Amino acid sequence: MADFASSLFSSRNLRRSLPWLVIVVAALVLPAVLPPFRLNLLGRFLSLGIVALGVDLIWGYTGMLSLGQGIFFALGGYALGMYLQLDSLEPGQLPEFFGLYGVKGLPAFWQPFSSPVFTLFAVWVIPALVAGLLGYLVFRNRIKGVYFSILTQAALLVFFNFFNGQQKLINGTNGLKTDTAHIFGILVGSDGMQRNLFWVTVVLVIGAWFLCRWLTTGRFGDALVAIRDDEPRLRFTGYNPTAYKTLVFAVAGALAGVSGALYTVQSGIVSPQFMAVPFSIEMVIWVAVGGRGTLIGAILGAVLINYAKSLISEQLPETWLFIQGGLFLLVVTALPDGLVGWWRQGGPGRLLAMVVLPQRSLTYPALDLDPEVQAEHSQFDTQGSESQGSKGGPR
Amino acid sequence: MNLLELRGVSVSFDGFLALNDLNLQLAPGELRAVIGPNGAGKTTFLDVITGKLKPTKGDVLFRGKSLVGQSEHHISRLGIGRKFQTPRVYQNLTPRRNLELAVRGPHGPFDLLFGRLSSEQRDRVQHLLGVVGLESHAAQQSGGLSHGQKQWLEIAMLVAQDPELLLVDEPVAGLTDGETERTGELLRQLAGDHTVLVIEHDMDFIRDLQAPVTVLHEGHVLCEGSMDQVQNDPRVIEVYLGSETQEAP
Repeated sequence: MADFASSLFSSRNLRRSLPWLVIVVAALVLPAVLPPFRLNLLGRFLSLGIVALGVDLIWGYTGMLSLGQGIFFALGGYALGMYLQLDSLEPGQLPEFFGLYGVKGLPAFWQPFSSPVFTLFAVWVIPALVAGLLGYLVFRNRIKGVYFSILTQAALLVFFNFFNGQQKLINGTNGLKTDTAHIFGILVGSDGMQRNLFWVTVVLVIGAWFLCRWLTTGRFGDALVAIRDDEPRLRFTGYNPTAYKTLVFAVAGALAGVSGALYTVQSGIVSPQFMAVPFSIEMVIWVAVGGRGTLIGAILGAVLINYAKSLISEQLPETWLFIQGGLFLLVVTALPDGLVGWWRQGGPGRLLAMVVLPQRSLTYPALDLDPEVQAEHSQFDTQGSESQGSKGGPR
Repeated sequence: MNLLELRGVSVSFDGFLALNDLNLQLAPGELRAVIGPNGAGKTTFLDVITGKLKPTKGDVLFRGKSLVGQSEHHISRLGIGRKFQTPRVYQNLTPRRNLELAVRGPHGPFDLLFGRLSSEQRDRVQHLLGVVGLESHAAQQSGGLSHGQKQWLEIAMLVAQDPELLLVDEPVAGLTDGETERTGELLRQLAGDHTVLVIEHDMDFIRDLQAPVTVLHEGHVLCEGSMDQVQNDPRVIEVYLGSETQEAP
């Protein structure tokens, strides 16, 4: 049993592939098993995995801790939300909420969102452009570290307050509902459509993972790590870190936009709450708990933490924030590489050895602890002292 | 024409002059040693050339063109490479990947994403790994290398860049005698094709380089000449080499 367990955990391949195995099996089995409500939750949390991948890209690999990814997340959500508001209208009609504020004509920036093709691009291009522009201005001025984090959070607040106040443009605090809209003539909020959206999310999460994987494995990824570890050094090697950081921040923005759009259609509404400060900080926590610089950890962290949050909040609503805070503390103090890092470094085997099963080890102290060896030892010792005694006797 | 020329360069930190009217010329292919007591402005002097610091006064010319106001990566692309005082390699990357980042070629984000290393570049990386004896460590993370290995890796990264002018800050600090000797050999080999400027504290190493020496003191060039000339200069003896000259023949 001990052998089996330790060989299971020491197999490097399994250690690397098991998280994937879990995900593939889950994606295939869960839609058949879970009731629609749970499946919908899973789809939502899986879509959050995409924004988390972006956070991992800019924070885990490039060392830029953004606390403002909610901006791009919400922009993607609003882009799709606006399209859905317009899509199910009769010609000449306006979305309902405009009537409340006495708006007679569709604002100009709404016009292009009646086109599905435009929307399909707007969902990720607009967040990417906003992120690229914001990033360029910040990185060009060499704002780094804590100042970058504070700046992104301040930008988030600016967007949050702006969107909250624009009733006449985008329904302000109330946000845009998507549940009652139709895609291809099917109600977005219906079980069948939600199941389809779950599959779309699975495909896009995997696609996003491959994109990030491609970005981080080659020389480009090396340059990102170099920026994280020693940015000035890279400058003296002839690299312009501003270009790299702007590009990667824009990619993270695009991922956030896709994530926000998927989250919107699966939760039925997009509102300025997507840009609430705690939500953007939570994104960072998902990545930290899952494992920085591992990509797969970002997805796992987002899904696990959010699923735990919804399960625990159903039973004990008050405790979740404490648990989340505790998780973050645990990761910071005990698991600096997150769950995935811990897993890859053989953490489960060590834990098992600590609790029940002895770890198979070739080191001397471990051998020493073996009861059989100890028994032999004591036999040897008594024999030794006897022979010594007999030799010593005549002296 | 001089490859590098500093004309009356001054750098002031809140009134303190780290460099004070510094003048220096380097001819193409030259090997030059720069020495000076602590606080003489040696590192500031490199910071000014490589664009990390802007001179308060004066001008820095590389092949006759001013470097003042240009960004670090721009200056590096013009052909000025720098090795830092404490070895600065990318700890989380392998030596091979360190070299692949440094190797000469286009350095834009899209070049790295879509371009591949040419066989010439890969050969160069492989060759340099051999030169600095890191072939057997090529696949382990550089953070685990010894101090000497890191020094050598950084020198290899500098050579991989193939700059016209190499600025080498304390290349033999913390190296064994054998490693020091090999480093000196490497630098002498590089001179000729390249122009090399070495900052060092190790007097024996400088003497073995057989290069002209520039002595910095309080941000100013005190004197220039061969090691023997410099060592016998009374001003140098006064500020710096007092005990050293007694050893010299």
